[in-house]
Amino acid sequence: MSLVSIRRGATVVSLAAVMSLGLAACGDGSGGSSGSGDTLTIGASLPLTGDFSQPGKAAEQGYKVWQSMVNADGGLLKKKVELKVKDDASNQNTIVADYNALISKDQVDLLLGTFSSLLNLPASAVAEKNQMLYVEPAGGSPDMFSRGFKHLFFAQQATADKQGLVFADWVKSLPASQRPTTAAYPTLDDPFAAPNVDGIRQVLEGAGIKTVYKTTYAIDTKNFDSIVAAMKAKNPDLVVHGATFEDGVGLTRAMLKAGFTPKMFYETSTPSFADQYTKAIGEGNTEGVMYAVSYSPDADTPGNKEFVAQYKKMYGSSIPPEDAADAYAAAQVMQAAVEGVGSIDDQTKLADWLRGHTVDTILGPLSWNADGSPKSEFLIGQWQKGVAEVVLPPDLATAKPEIGWHPSS
Amino acid sequence: MTELVQTLVLSLLLGGVYALVASGLTLIFGVMRVINIAHGAFLILGAFIAYTLWHALGLDPLVGVLVTTPVVFAIGWAIYHGLVRPIRNAPMSSTVLLTFGLALVTEGVMGFVWGNDSTAITPSYVDTSFHVGGVFLPKAQVYGGIVAVVVLVALWLVLTKTWLGRAIRAAAANPASAELVGIKVTSVAALVFALGLAAAGAGGAITGVLYPFVPGSHYLWIARLLAIVVLGGLGSLEGAVLSALVFGIAETVTAVYVSPAWATAVPYAIVFAVLLIRPQGLLGTRLRDDAVTA
Amino acid sequence: MSAATSPEEAPTGRAGASTLWVGRGIAAVAAVLLLLYPVINDNRYYQNIIILSLVFAVAASGLSIITGLAGYVSLGQGAFIGLGGYTVGILATHHPDTSVWLWVPLAGVVAALVALVLGFVALRARGPSFVIITVAFLFLVQVIAINWRSLTGGTEGLTLPLPTWSADIMNWPFYYALTAILALQLLLAWWVRRIKLGTGLVAIREDETKAATVGINLPVEKMIAFVASSVFVGMAGGVYGYYLTFIDPRGMLNILLSVQTMLALLVGGKATLWGPVLGAFLVEPLNEYANNNLGGGNTRLVLFGGLLILIVLFLPQGVLPAIESLLSWLRTRGSAGLVGARIGTGGSLASLTERLHPVEREPGAAVPPMLEVKDLRKSFGGLKAVDGASLVVPEGSITGLIGPNGSGKTTLFNLVDDTIHADGGEIWLAGERIDGLSPWTRAHRGLGRTFQITRLFREMTVLENVVAAQHSFSWSQLGRIAVSGAEAKAAEELLEYVGMRAFRDQKARALSYGQQKLVELAQVLMLDPKLILLDEPAGGINPVLVERMSEMIRELNSYGKTFLIVEHNMPFVLGLCDPVHVLGRGRTMASGTPDQIQNDPAVVDAYLGDDFVLEATEQVERAEQERAGST
Repeated sequence: MSLVSIRRGATVVSLAAVMSLGLAACGDGSGGSSGSGDTLTIGASLPLTGDFSQPGKAAEQGYKVWQSMVNADGGLLKKKVELKVKDDASNQNTIVADYNALISKDQVDLLLGTFSSLLNLPASAVAEKNQMLYVEPAGGSPDMFSRGFKHLFFAQQATADKQGLVFADWVKSLPASQRPTTAAYPTLDDPFAAPNVDGIRQVLEGAGIKTVYKTTYAIDTKNFDSIVAAMKAKNPDLVVHGATFEDGVGLTRAMLKAGFTPKMFYETSTPSFADQYTKAIGEGNTEGVMYAVSYSPDADTPGNKEFVAQYKKMYGSSIPPEDAADAYAAAQVMQAAVEGVGSIDDQTKLADWLRGHTVDTILGPLSWNADGSPKSEFLIGQWQKGVAEVVLPPDLATAKPEIGWHPSS
Repeated sequence: MTELVQTLVLSLLLGGVYALVASGLTLIFGVMRVINIAHGAFLILGAFIAYTLWHALGLDPLVGVLVTTPVVFAIGWAIYHGLVRPIRNAPMSSTVLLTFGLALVTEGVMGFVWGNDSTAITPSYVDTSFHVGGVFLPKAQVYGGIVAVVVLVALWLVLTKTWLGRAIRAAAANPASAELVGIKVTSVAALVFALGLAAAGAGGAITGVLYPFVPGSHYLWIARLLAIVVLGGLGSLEGAVLSALVFGIAETVTAVYVSPAWATAVPYAIVFAVLLIRPQGLLGTRLRDDAVTA
Repeated sequence: MSAATSPEEAPTGRAGASTLWVGRGIAAVAAVLLLLYPVINDNRYYQNIIILSLVFAVAASGLSIITGLAGYVSLGQGAFIGLGGYTVGILATHHPDTSVWLWVPLAGVVAALVALVLGFVALRARGPSFVIITVAFLFLVQVIAINWRSLTGGTEGLTLPLPTWSADIMNWPFYYALTAILALQLLLAWWVRRIKLGTGLVAIREDETKAATVGINLPVEKMIAFVASSVFVGMAGGVYGYYLTFIDPRGMLNILLSVQTMLALLVGGKATLWGPVLGAFLVEPLNEYANNNLGGGNTRLVLFGGLLILIVLFLPQGVLPAIESLLSWLRTRGSAGLVGARIGTGGSLASLTERLHPVEREPGAAVPPMLEVKDLRKSFGGLKAVDGASLVVPEGSITGLIGPNGSGKTTLFNLVDDTIHADGGEIWLAGERIDGLSPWTRAHRGLGRTFQITRLFREMTVLENVVAAQHSFSWSQLGRIAVSGAEAKAAEELLEYVGMRAFRDQKARALSYGQQKLVELAQVLMLDPKLILLDEPAGGINPVLVERMSEMIRELNSYGKTFLIVEHNMPFVLGLCDPVHVLGRGRTMASGTPDQIQNDPAVVDAYLGDDFVLEATEQVERAEQERAGST
């Protein structure tokens, strides 16, 4: 990184001596590799503790699986890949410090993104200021891409506001006898969940499905009985719930407690947490729940079988969580850019390369608009007989969509 | 109408649990003039202990109350002697900062021991309800409410019917005179601190069944508990119970009829309003320390 | 960095002055290093740490005004960082074509305005209630930021445009802007503690009720303190938000920001100028170290929490004061303290001619009342401590007020100066009705009062105790330099008069009881009062001092001061006072010359009589005094 020209002249020896006394702790970090040597260091900071620790840890697994596979395959640009993952404790001040540390202190060669829009927003600004490529696995808030950043890319198929559209179009296309007439839209106040639900609501309202209940609740809401009681009183046919994980489980359990089982139930994120989800609400209760998802373990995408196998080898489960797959895909995108350009010295070139190419990932082919937002469509999943199937769009589906939520406990 | 009845029933079931936990906090304040910011953290600790008992031994969390209560009691007693006693004569702000530090340490330790993932205690009855004429009564809430009331009554009996209780009330009313009649105020204070935390520990086992929790959940709890205690009047047990019920209703009604997003604002708004309008709370007496002549 | 510039730490003698210069030298070197650092080292990681440390240093230094000086512990200081950030964020997104820097001063203004609201709350609550309020305040701001979507963007937050300047000097503007704000903040903190506002705030911290009786306008001073503690913090928050380029409620209004600010303040030393800066530059790098080397999240919680506990338990004063007391201990080891020194023989009032003039009185002429109390009432629960007391203190008199223990004398004093609110009755001072006025206004109207158990500001020096009194209220007076110049000269003259000048730099808590009585008298005289209420001036002090006390009272009286004296020492009262009022069961039972009183059978009976009602009242009064004394 060539940032120094102005300052060199000012580096007076005597002052430097005083500095080393006064700010002893602030001496130069152990010099990084910066493209030399035989390893490439890749840095990321993830929420391994705190509110986003669940997906944060899954993302770490995804990065590690990618690292092991890339190294087994001869490395990146023929260099061994080393991964440096910090814990930002789901805290924005820490994540800014972390990415600054990765760039300036640890002098990593490449960056990978973190989990959630809330953390990616400040982190991507650090990368942008340093003109480093920043591919992020999870942070689909439309706001991310309105800032004119040139080094930021989102490695999923669509931004949050567009992720439920496939589902909404499908509901709209149902024959009148099967189509819901009323709908409720509870959502977590979250930059990912809320736009997702809003996008669906707008389509369905346009199709004449009446909105009978709509609310936004705060992230620290634990008591869902009151929301469910209010919803139950309106008795909607369809519930579209914007959730992350914990609140999705909380609301579903509260619905079961209240004996409130609408005809159709769509929920963001939560049902994609595979094992954790079935354990949390009981396998029988998952039957028919629909959700938007970026990834299916059964997908026929190139490299997916190898990823699933390696994931099982490292973490013991044959169903990698969606966030691990997204992280893996983000690393794939970054890898494609690096290999496409053949050098990492000018990362603006890496970004330019991505804007001009489509990358095959385990999520499917990804391509980007000029602002770094992706151009594809999301998958819609549904739990059927204890298995998470992809049901939409038809050409990628592993099963046909079934109408109705049929909890059975 | 059914919706309103439903709302109120849920509020009262919630209020019972709030009452139990808040009574511990107000008891500690009443006797020791210590605002225990770590109270919420010990509630979560109680929940984690109950979780482990349930997960490892299959012990029902509501039976687990019998274990969490004495365990947290013992921890509270040790903490009093190790940390609180040395600064019992320091300004109140010191104890606030101390217990805040204690809350952070407890949160961190819980994170090390149990991890930072969302944890839920889910015995078989947790997703089922009694249905009474269109109104549903979640079984977990009903059982939890009953246990909370039982513990609360036990606490009340201890405070009113035993020598210890009289000693506690004497120490709260006038420490100097209590010493004169042979009550060792520091021993009483240790017991009260332990007893107060034990109430949080008991409440933790119950709330662990009702809501999922992470170590960081304690912020939300302490905000609520402070609001309840302030509303009831710092140090007043009856006030805490009454305001816990009021509070449960306010929170639920806001969530149903206004917006769940604003329900989390209820505690803070209550604290603000009460301390501005009636600093002594519903049933509290005015403290000279709190009331400025201006 | 041990520049001891706070008034209560004012160094004495040459040794102190040299420490002061060493401290200033260290501070200067640190400042130069701070200014040069980005020029000689372009490592952004360390620049980031310093930028964060600067933000916390500004916040902690601001907090030192309200918490360190005024004693109001706030866990809501982080809210002002957030408010500043939001102000800049909102304005920058609404006016994309205007330079973001333009909004930074405005961020300070917004923070200051919100601080006024919080200050208003502080008029009603103190101690633990106030701490709870500040936490509630922070969370309330957060909830509003979350729910006021149209303005704040809700949880999605606001994204600011990236800076347009060269990437080579990306951090410099932030770095130097924050350095400049810190300099301004420190200047403000330094100035505040040198002026009367500062001594007033410390007085509020030490004993708020007492502070009101020496003329300190509590609401105004507290409000100013809140504004002063937040304005630059808001500006720093604005720069910080711009630096982050992203503002959202959970990050900018995280309670951990407040905790870290409080920790920085406590570690450094809460009533010092440089302590908060030192603390911030210790805590933030420690935070970074824990995060990078000790495993992040949970470790950091344990570290922060543990540090907070350790500081409260073992280093309640903080690092700088600990170093200072160590130094002064090393310096004064072996030499005897001043406390044992003799009280001066006392100066003459002639030296105070600028403020006092002898008053010629025509004997026999009708004297207007200086103080008139009519049907004053106060009950505690069912007990009527003062039950319709009425009395007159003639102008220019030394009036005595006696009565059995528990007859309501001290309560009557408390009602007259509004230390306790009366339930009913009228109080007239020099022809003006003063019940309903605040204690400080009563002091400004010419009412001075000492306490039965002395209530000096314990952590302040003798000189500061006297300077703290404010005989009138004006904004310019608040800004007057307190620790030197005219104010200090006047205070020293009064100390000379009461014989305590040699003790001027001693902490009040180190004085003997008798010495405290003398200082409290000087403090009251600083108010230049028309009427002085003395509560047992001769109680608990040695006979020589009793003699000196009555001499001073006579002399002051000859210079026009009117006195009302509560005293149990009968020879003292009867020799000094005329008229004398007798209080029994909360009402005036007799008034007259000393001779008349001595021979009044009812009075004699009351002193000998021992019925239970009196005893009950007495308990109330004693309890009340205990409580008053312990605050």
